[in-house]
Amino acid sequence: MEYEDKAGRPSKPPSPKQNVRKNLDFEPLSTTALILEDRPANLPAKPADEAQKHRQQYEEMVVQAKKRELKEAQRRKRQLEERCRLEESIGNAALTWNNEILPNWETMWCSRKVRDLWWQGIPPSVRGKVWSLAIGNELNITHELFDICLARAKERWRSLSTGGSELENEDASFPAADREASLELIKLDISRTFPNLCIFQQGGPYHDMLHSILGAYTCYRPDVGYVQGMSFIAAVLILNLDTEDAFIAFSNLLNKPCQMAFFRVDHGLMLTYFAAFEVFFEENLPKLFAHFKKNNLTPDIYLIDWIFTLYSKSLPLDLACRIWDVFCRDGEEFLFRTALGVLKLFEDILTKMDFIHMAQLLTRLPDHLPAEEFFACIATIQMQSRNKKWAQVLAALQKDSRETEKGSPPPRH
Amino acid sequence: MAKQYDVLFRLLLIGDSGVGKTCLLCRFTDNEFHSSHISTIGVDFKMKTIEVDGIKVRIQIWDTAGQERYQTITKQYYRRAQGIFLVYDISSERSYQHIMKWVSDVDEYAPEGVQKILIGNKADEEQKRQVGREQGQQLAKEYGMDFYETSACTNLNIKESFTRLTELVLQAHRKELDGVRTRASNEMALAELEEDESKPEGPANSSKTCWC
Repeated sequence: MEYEDKAGRPSKPPSPKQNVRKNLDFEPLSTTALILEDRPANLPAKPADEAQKHRQQYEEMVVQAKKRELKEAQRRKRQLEERCRLEESIGNAALTWNNEILPNWETMWCSRKVRDLWWQGIPPSVRGKVWSLAIGNELNITHELFDICLARAKERWRSLSTGGSELENEDASFPAADREASLELIKLDISRTFPNLCIFQQGGPYHDMLHSILGAYTCYRPDVGYVQGMSFIAAVLILNLDTEDAFIAFSNLLNKPCQMAFFRVDHGLMLTYFAAFEVFFEENLPKLFAHFKKNNLTPDIYLIDWIFTLYSKSLPLDLACRIWDVFCRDGEEFLFRTALGVLKLFEDILTKMDFIHMAQLLTRLPDHLPAEEFFACIATIQMQSRNKKWAQVLAALQKDSRETEKGSPPPRH
Repeated sequence: MAKQYDVLFRLLLIGDSGVGKTCLLCRFTDNEFHSSHISTIGVDFKMKTIEVDGIKVRIQIWDTAGQERYQTITKQYYRRAQGIFLVYDISSERSYQHIMKWVSDVDEYAPEGVQKILIGNKADEEQKRQVGREQGQQLAKEYGMDFYETSACTNLNIKESFTRLTELVLQAHRKELDGVRTRASNEMALAELEEDESKPEGPANSSKTCWC
């Protein structure tokens, strides 16, 4: 059979596939798998007309594939142009921030122009600086204080690893066992902070920085200690600031009322925040609000993760940084406005879901969110309820809860 | 039969940070194992429908953050659960010691009749073991719970333990539905009663039964 097949041809004929290939100036990638192979030797030869037909079909496929790849190439070119434009605008924005805004921070930061530019996202090159300025340093933390706290933390790690107890009597209100647990938890959590980035884990370039900041903080604020969620905040700061400044920003950020309420797990105050959130939820998205109520989906279920980590765990990192940008500008209310933005973005889907599907969607947001659409959703959220702003609504609710507390013992949950 | 499931239960995973609650859950629902998980903040959710004794049970599983500080928050979820996994890590004596605290929280905050099961996870880490198997059994016996040593890593006893807790919840639930007034502890009596009702596929009456 084999010899019969080859008999009619000149010796060593090129295979049909080589024939076809010769006619092409380039080989479309997607067709490599389609190339006609020689028929297995144990099968009868193809009739000539069938072989011709197959060759033709193959060439047609190649032409189609070529068209598709040309289209793809054009799309990529457009994408590249788009990226260049974006980079240019980021470059321009960075210039504006560096040359105009940062030197005149005090007078300019609350101007309309700056606020608008701010909303577009702070260029990564100045992001850390802007965050530092916006967060401020109410606590007057110096680099020296950081060094002192870090030295104490290191001492503790040492005494822990050698099993010594010379520090036992210090901070009597925070038992050694708790401290030990907390230091171990830091170690555990560092390995679980943005694990897919592989930069904070043992051996990674930012591992020691993250460890230092969290350790120093537990010495600086033993009354707060280490609470899960903090590692994400510190990690995002580390990506934008050097260690000392990251520590200063970290401590000041956690000192803000909303963060303090959450990280100290002041449950009453957290409930007040949730209640305030629900006021604006109902105002902005009444239908969805009713749907959530009906399904008993309370805000704590999705808000806790978002607020504790300032969205850094639940949103893609670049998007989370843009949320942080505006959070630095607008304060805590922006965290809740962002939450409503998420709900608005997914409103149509959520309305059709039951409890578990909603809870799953909100506690694990899709990996890719359309950034512009998302920010457009956030922009539509009004943080005004019956002429009251966020802070006023929150203050009123806080007053109410204090009064009920005084009037009757707090309800046991 | 149009419905995807016959009955819905909520199960809760609690235990110290890092004992592997999320890993257990991922192994059970997605048959996946990742050694480096992201920490759970607050609560996470998964869902799976399994068939136990011919009944399609949809289980919602609430996976909670383990740090003590978060317990003020996670306690709020106990009352919404019908079944609770108490998880410790066999390579951490401390996580085992803490089970007592977790149990007392459950007693305080969970609804009466909530079903509990004790899990000693990371059974594959034999060389790091700090808690003996019999210690786990002993503790489970003290509290009247079933006990499994599991490994999310090697997929040991994962399906078995989730199915067992579901069975227990189903039993408790059925009793309620059938209006059988039997003490929860009196399992034999319950099983007999249900046999009397001639349910050919009634729930298994012995803790040794595994649904595989």
